[in-house]
Amino acid sequence: MRFEREIDIHSPKEKVWRFLWDIDRFIACVPGCKEAGTLEAGKSYTATMVEKVGPFRVEFPMRIDVLESREHSYIKAQASGSDSKIGSRMKVELEVNLTGEGDQTKLLLGASVDILGKLATLGHSMIKRKADQVMDEFAGNLKQKLEADA
Amino acid sequence: MLRRFRLEEPETVPEASELLARYGDSARVYAGGTELLLVMKEGLAHYERLVNIKKIPNLDTVKQDNGVISIGALATHRSLSTDALLEERLPVFAAMEKHVANIRVREVGTIGGNLCFAEPHADPGTLLLVLGAKLILAKASGRREIPIEGFFVGPYETVLEDDELLTEIRVPLLPAHSAAAYLKFGYLERPSVGVAVSLSLDGASVRDVRVAVGCAGPTPRRIEAAEEALRGKSVEDASESIGKAGAIAGRESDAITDLHGSKDYKEHIVGVLLKRAFTQVVEQCR
Repeated sequence: MRFEREIDIHSPKEKVWRFLWDIDRFIACVPGCKEAGTLEAGKSYTATMVEKVGPFRVEFPMRIDVLESREHSYIKAQASGSDSKIGSRMKVELEVNLTGEGDQTKLLLGASVDILGKLATLGHSMIKRKADQVMDEFAGNLKQKLEADA
Repeated sequence: MLRRFRLEEPETVPEASELLARYGDSARVYAGGTELLLVMKEGLAHYERLVNIKKIPNLDTVKQDNGVISIGALATHRSLSTDALLEERLPVFAAMEKHVANIRVREVGTIGGNLCFAEPHADPGTLLLVLGAKLILAKASGRREIPIEGFFVGPYETVLEDDELLTEIRVPLLPAHSAAAYLKFGYLERPSVGVAVSLSLDGASVRDVRVAVGCAGPTPRRIEAAEEALRGKSVEDASESIGKAGAIAGRESDAITDLHGSKDYKEHIVGVLLKRAFTQVVEQCR
């Protein structure tokens, strides 16, 4: 499933770029994400995604690998992890594009989410709704934090 | 495999509510168990405690009260499918219940459990939307009544608070010259699409019409734009507009591509079922 968001941020591109690489502050914007760690700065990170939908609670310890980055403009990353308790895997391909001039930045966020295993049997509508919620909340948090710092 | 859990057996609604409040996320209401035990056996959910509410008396009765049929949340699908009062006063509901899931589920699964689990591919919620049902939600500190439109939040999620129970479904009787129908289609165990229509005629014109679609998207939903395409028209004009209403209902159903069919396929089926259901209710109204 593919998700996209466009976020207009009243903050210079360079500052948004620095924020994206500040793992603790970045992870704090992702709802349900906790315990961020750095394996190799600029390349590999860890984090745990915890989500609850109705009677279901999932916990995915994730490894995040940065596949490609161009300073102040583009990041491509891949995150994957498994919840062994419920026998399910999650894989996310994430792309971030930054454009803009002066104090205004446009952040284009694209995410392809694949859920495999028992969790997928519950249906795409549940996964889509939760992913939509996470993307919306993340976009709001990111904008708020960056603009509050301006 | 089902992991060990403790079974609590309260005998009143306040007792059940207090248990749910005390144990929070580690406890869950257990009624028929046809959905909950399945996901627990699959290891998708685990609770240290199940609060069995089947010992609470009088929560499984069906009665008529001033033009409203009151259905206890613990009534099983099978009991509702053969209930004499429903067959006489709300036959569309009994007919829908006859075809919920399969005989094993109907025998023990409850109407309350079906609504509260909020599995998207379920039948009753869609029909109850066009019937204008209200739900009674109760907890230790009191109770509230909400229209069913406000109950479903998303797949597997409702507005029920952690210590709240669904105790009763209140369905107003259809007025004179009115009828309702529920049709569904699917090729797996659960339906791909369900469509419900209720119609009230004033002579030869459509006084009121309600359309709801379920199973296709995350929750059952009323499709008011489709209703607008039919309301106030003569039956003949409404019948001619049913294709347009079906296309609107398909688009607005929030259908999603999954194992039960593609988005386009489900949208198409919504139109087909709406046309059939509308033809059926027009005949019944006359």
